[in-house]
Amino acid sequence: MIASYLDGILPKEQIRINDELRHPLGNGGLQLIEANSEEDISKVLAFAYSHNKTVNVISGGTKRGFGGENERADILLSLANYKGIVEHSVGDLTMTVKPGTTLKEITDELHKHGQRVALDASWPELATIGGIIAANDSGPKRLLYGSARDLVIGTRIVYPDGNVVRTGGKVVKNVAGYDMNKLFIGSMGTLGIISEITIKLRPLPKYEGLSLLQFPIGKEQDIREFSIKILDSMAEPVSLEILNPSIAEKMTGNRQDTLAISFEDREKAVLDQENWVETHLPFGGEHVVLHEEDARQWWEKFRHFGPNGYHDTESEADTQAALKVGSNNLDVLVNMVAADNLAAEHHVAVEAHGGIGHGISRIYVKGLPEDIVSYTRALRDKVKEKSGYVVCTHLPFILREAVGVWGEKPGYFALLEGIKRTNDPKNILNRNRFVGGI
Amino acid sequence: MNRKKHRREKPDAVVQRLMNIVGEREVFYLKEDLISYECDGYTMSKGMPKAVVFVKSTEHVSAVVRCLNEEKIPYIARGAGTGLSGGATPLGGEVIISLVRMKRMLHLDLENRKAVVEPGFINLKLTQSISDKGYYYAPDPSSQYACTIGGNVAENSGGAHCLKYGVTTNHILGLEVVLPNGEVIEIGEEGIPDQPGYDLLGLLTGSEGTLGIVTKITVKVLKNPEGKKTVLAYYDDINDASQAVSEIIAAGIIPAALEMMDSIAIEGVESAAYPVGHPRDIAAFLLIEVDGIAAGIDDQIDEILTVCKHNNVREVKVAKDEAERGLWWANRKMGFGAMGAISPDYLVQDGVIPRTRLPEVLGKIAEISKKYELRIANIFHAGDGNLHPLILFDASIPGQSERAAKAGSECLKVCADVGGSITGEHGVGIEKSAEMRFIFSDAEMTAQTNIRAVFNPEDLLNPGKLFPQPGQCVEIKQAGQGDRSTVPVNAMGRGD
Ligand SMILES: Cc1cc2nc3c(=O)[nH]c(=O)nc-3n(C[C@H](O)[C@H](O)[C@H](O)COP(=O)(O)OP(=O)(O)OC[C@H]3O[C@@H](n4cnc5c(N)ncnc54)[C@H](O)[C@@H]3O)c2cc1C
Repeated sequence: MIASYLDGILPKEQIRINDELRHPLGNGGLQLIEANSEEDISKVLAFAYSHNKTVNVISGGTKRGFGGENERADILLSLANYKGIVEHSVGDLTMTVKPGTTLKEITDELHKHGQRVALDASWPELATIGGIIAANDSGPKRLLYGSARDLVIGTRIVYPDGNVVRTGGKVVKNVAGYDMNKLFIGSMGTLGIISEITIKLRPLPKYEGLSLLQFPIGKEQDIREFSIKILDSMAEPVSLEILNPSIAEKMTGNRQDTLAISFEDREKAVLDQENWVETHLPFGGEHVVLHEEDARQWWEKFRHFGPNGYHDTESEADTQAALKVGSNNLDVLVNMVAADNLAAEHHVAVEAHGGIGHGISRIYVKGLPEDIVSYTRALRDKVKEKSGYVVCTHLPFILREAVGVWGEKPGYFALLEGIKRTNDPKNILNRNRFVGGI
Repeated sequence: MNRKKHRREKPDAVVQRLMNIVGEREVFYLKEDLISYECDGYTMSKGMPKAVVFVKSTEHVSAVVRCLNEEKIPYIARGAGTGLSGGATPLGGEVIISLVRMKRMLHLDLENRKAVVEPGFINLKLTQSISDKGYYYAPDPSSQYACTIGGNVAENSGGAHCLKYGVTTNHILGLEVVLPNGEVIEIGEEGIPDQPGYDLLGLLTGSEGTLGIVTKITVKVLKNPEGKKTVLAYYDDINDASQAVSEIIAAGIIPAALEMMDSIAIEGVESAAYPVGHPRDIAAFLLIEVDGIAAGIDDQIDEILTVCKHNNVREVKVAKDEAERGLWWANRKMGFGAMGAISPDYLVQDGVIPRTRLPEVLGKIAEISKKYELRIANIFHAGDGNLHPLILFDASIPGQSERAAKAGSECLKVCADVGGSITGEHGVGIEKSAEMRFIFSDAEMTAQTNIRAVFNPEDLLNPGKLFPQPGQCVEIKQAGQGDRSTVPVNAMGRGD
């Protein structure tokens, strides 16, 4: 039954009782409401705010396993239908888009005009731009192109009380007032609902190449030395991603540590850089080069690893987790080795990759729930030795409390709490989804 | 600093307390010492500080802040004072905390591409101290030989090369901050990206010194590009130049810099220290730089030359060597300062527009110039639509300062009306606080001041800036000729 308190907020067909009360990833809601417009979002929030109802937000659902220590809220608000491109200013290289638009839909549209959003987050046909930004997701190419915080120039936000506030603007350079965009990027929807996003675009590269460098197992030192050398060279790699042997095997057929180095530029410049790689090849390393469509397809496949919110199985032994590790750039190599060594110790299977030039690694874990818990703790301890952190970007609901999705609270936690309290004084939005239980 | 002066006044109790923290010689409180702290590079508004305190460490900053909190005295952080919106200008009675003596580089880690500096470290010095190793710091405001990285963080400064490489916020990895309660926090520890929690790094950058005082900064450093080529293109019609800008971008080229100057601006730079010999009868020139992998540059230059020619360029040339390139840039970077050669005073504006609206906006600025009977020179970062209309006036002629301020405000209105912004890199400060209303509703500004209250609940840190004050109207204090020695813009004789 639809709760009578929702009567008249939105048309009946947009509200239904949620039959998925015990979703393994939690973050559900008793009533499922579909928003088709910003006004819908605003009405639902204004209602929830004045009636002290809690609201969880969902779009593509790929990040349903990311954070959240409450199984369900009163309302699960879906933005999946609130999609489409509001404005694409081709000459200004900017685009304004609704949050439920998937990355693939955006990519396809922009492609027609020779442009793109330089965000290579995973599961592009499922992940929505709103979700990617709220969760601050990114891929290997952030090395050269940056992440959401470098690309988003404006938003419209529905605050928990239903009021709409614009942040930033529609121009690529803007320092008027506080850079409020930043507050919402990566805030997991705890400060307001992003109802519109204006983002900077880039032209499609004229030419692209991918150098795959395969190293015999145990040659971490060679990888390190080569990486330092290329980072210090004339080359401008778009990615310098290290793949652990198990993920490399699926991508290349060879169970070896593999570096995926992308170049995107004029053809001559790409070939020149590949040539640099060829002439600086470490002993025993093997260099495979892919161009254009082959390179694009390789990356396309690469974006389909790890849990996506839809593949969690009933079988306990195949429980899945995804970890985001942040570290100093070169410590990515250390963490990769640790990820594999600890996997053996804790009886879990691990696929992992990390950006040697940008410091973010992704580790996908499969195994028994208790092994995932002990693995994550052990990895966290290891990573912390070098000031890094581990955030669980995917975990079954029942494991979240035990593992601690976000790790320790930062020393300035009071400021984070203060910001949350300011924006959402009644704590109705995505409660307990964020750092320190915010 | 001349401390031998005869003391006429005794320090009051607050000044005495500050002296106890940093040392007697490190506090200015006499009027003659305070005069040069009446304003920053924006000289249309001035106020007398209560004192200036020169701190040497984070502990100093924290102790000074705690003391002023107890005394309920407002205070302002100050770097080099080159700000162009009055951010470091007292409204009257604030204590200025000067960070210029905190100017060390603390750590350099090229393998992880980062450097840690104190806030008073000069922007250009960073590039200079790593260039022999082939690295540089990308944000390059034209004031870079003088401005501090702390000031850059506060203003989220840009520069000619931010079209390709981004502005300050894209290069800040970590900050140590003294909060307005004196507490010291570290965000973005060790410069590791995406730390769990709201992005305070992004929020603090560009907050114009109203949320905290930055005492340590971890920045990204970049490898020098392998190749670089620079093009100069002269146009008889500014619309052709604008069209060329759009077509270069549409061709999928992202130049490192794409700058434009109109005829009045050219008159200025040709009368200043680095004349290039630009023809005096052209309507505008474009200065275009492409950098990156050397093997890919010639093709891009060829395309740019084709676009320029296709848009009726009178003459276009590629710099033949580093000396010529350097001269072109020196001439361009003189921009602001050069106005001093053709006008007694000038007001710099800083609007941003969608780059495709350039011709239309230039037309409107010309109308404003006519309406107020003031010449307006235009210098802009054309590639990202960041305009710097320079309104030329003579403060000694009654009414001209007021007219200049009004003309400036109207230029910003034009930018706001085409969907742009009132500031791209110079900040709001005192100058544009009323104009915030051009782009934000009251509710939107309240959302921002609410965030300020989380950090700065008593509003003792840099009060009265950034947001419109109740009942605010444009108020101008005459920047009299006699004060010219305190005008950093002219004193430094360079500009962007
Ligand atoms: C000739 C000329 C050319 C210029 N060209 C450019 C340009 O190309 N691009 C550009 O973006 N700007 C430009 N500017 C503006 C100015 O140089 C920048 O805004 C610069 O970042 C200011 O640095 P500063 O050290 O002088 O800061 P100040 O002027 O001393 O202070 C600026 C603001 O920052 C705050 N602040 C300073 N230090 C700290 C700190 N450690 N912690 C917290 N708050 C602090 C102050 O309170 C104030 O609000 C130019 C200025 C001039 C005079």
